[in-house]
Amino acid sequence: MSLFTSILTGLAMGVVFGVALEKARVFEPGMIVGQMQIKNFIMLKVFLTAVATGAVVLAALHGFGLIKLAPKATFYAADIVGGLVLGIGIALAGACPGTVLAQIGAGYRDAIFTLVGGIAGAVAFGYAEPALAPLLLTGGPGKLTFMDLTGVSYPVLSVGFAAVLVVVLVLLERWRPWRAELGADVDGDFGPAEGAPGVPASRLKPAE
Amino acid sequence: MTASAHIVPAQAQVRRTGMFQQKAWSPYVAGIAIGLLQVPAFLLISTALGASSSYVTVGGFIAALVDPGVIQIDYVAKHMAATGKNWWQVALVTGVALGAFLSMKLSGAHRRPISPIWTRALGTSSPALRYAMAFGAGFLMLFGARLADGCTSGHGLSGMAQMAVSSTIAVTFMFVGGIAAATLLLRRI
Repeated sequence: MSLFTSILTGLAMGVVFGVALEKARVFEPGMIVGQMQIKNFIMLKVFLTAVATGAVVLAALHGFGLIKLAPKATFYAADIVGGLVLGIGIALAGACPGTVLAQIGAGYRDAIFTLVGGIAGAVAFGYAEPALAPLLLTGGPGKLTFMDLTGVSYPVLSVGFAAVLVVVLVLLERWRPWRAELGADVDGDFGPAEGAPGVPASRLKPAE
Repeated sequence: MTASAHIVPAQAQVRRTGMFQQKAWSPYVAGIAIGLLQVPAFLLISTALGASSSYVTVGGFIAALVDPGVIQIDYVAKHMAATGKNWWQVALVTGVALGAFLSMKLSGAHRRPISPIWTRALGTSSPALRYAMAFGAGFLMLFGARLADGCTSGHGLSGMAQMAVSSTIAVTFMFVGGIAAATLLLRRI
């Protein structure tokens, strides 16, 4: 596939991705901060559904021999420290590296600063990579999957994993129905907690 | 579509709206749509869904304007190469902004410049503070994602669907870091 066709494919897929993120409301800072404060589960619902769907379709494609899997290599220090720093960034940005673009598209102005900060962070990592690589990107088992650990084939393991996720999602939905998690303006904002200090009285009015 | 819709056409016109005019979909419908995007990603581009590599591609070109030496760094040069995968991902994240914009226009879900949750989370409505914080948070987010070699998309959606141990570790610690920061550094929203 030519570079030009790859770009057109990316744009088309991105539009679908962006519509899905916007309709799911999962790009909302209220949903992402709400998830990290364990009071809103829209993010987990979208995330686990997408993982389960991906696991099933990739199992089918892999079973028919149409694709090769490309799991990322395991470097314990980099995965743990990188994951922690990424998570802190997500909570304080109220966005992920992908959803920040959806925030910009939907009109959030602070997301432009998140994006610029993100580009700066990626460049800073680029400069730091030669120094960090021998420290953190070493001493791991390489490309390690749960197939290697269990001896079970990919299609069986991934469909089994998807089935477990479906059970988790059914229970999650029963516990916290998604419609009740949207908020009046579908942004995960439920107004101030009752009796919260320092909240202007006008904020207590219900949203129109 | 149904018999009852024909009986009350006037009401149907007001109440019945197309799927794209709705402000919110079920998270399960949206999640399935996102998961299905792995099919064209693997079949057409031979890669998995991801977002954070594109920041190195774009950042590399911006950095090269002030420091042409940046392309001497293998890691940066690899991301700046004119390959289908690199530019597919830049196009993907551009498309995300476009898709969210179209979706928002179709449903009329107008957003304020800053989400109202930030006033409560930060205890102040100062836009300057929020902008500064967003920049710093974006920096951490991408530095961490590049260190872990993936973000919520690359490790989360794609790596976990491929049963990768690295992705499971990275996503677990992403939630640990996120929950710790949202609990200790932000006020309850």
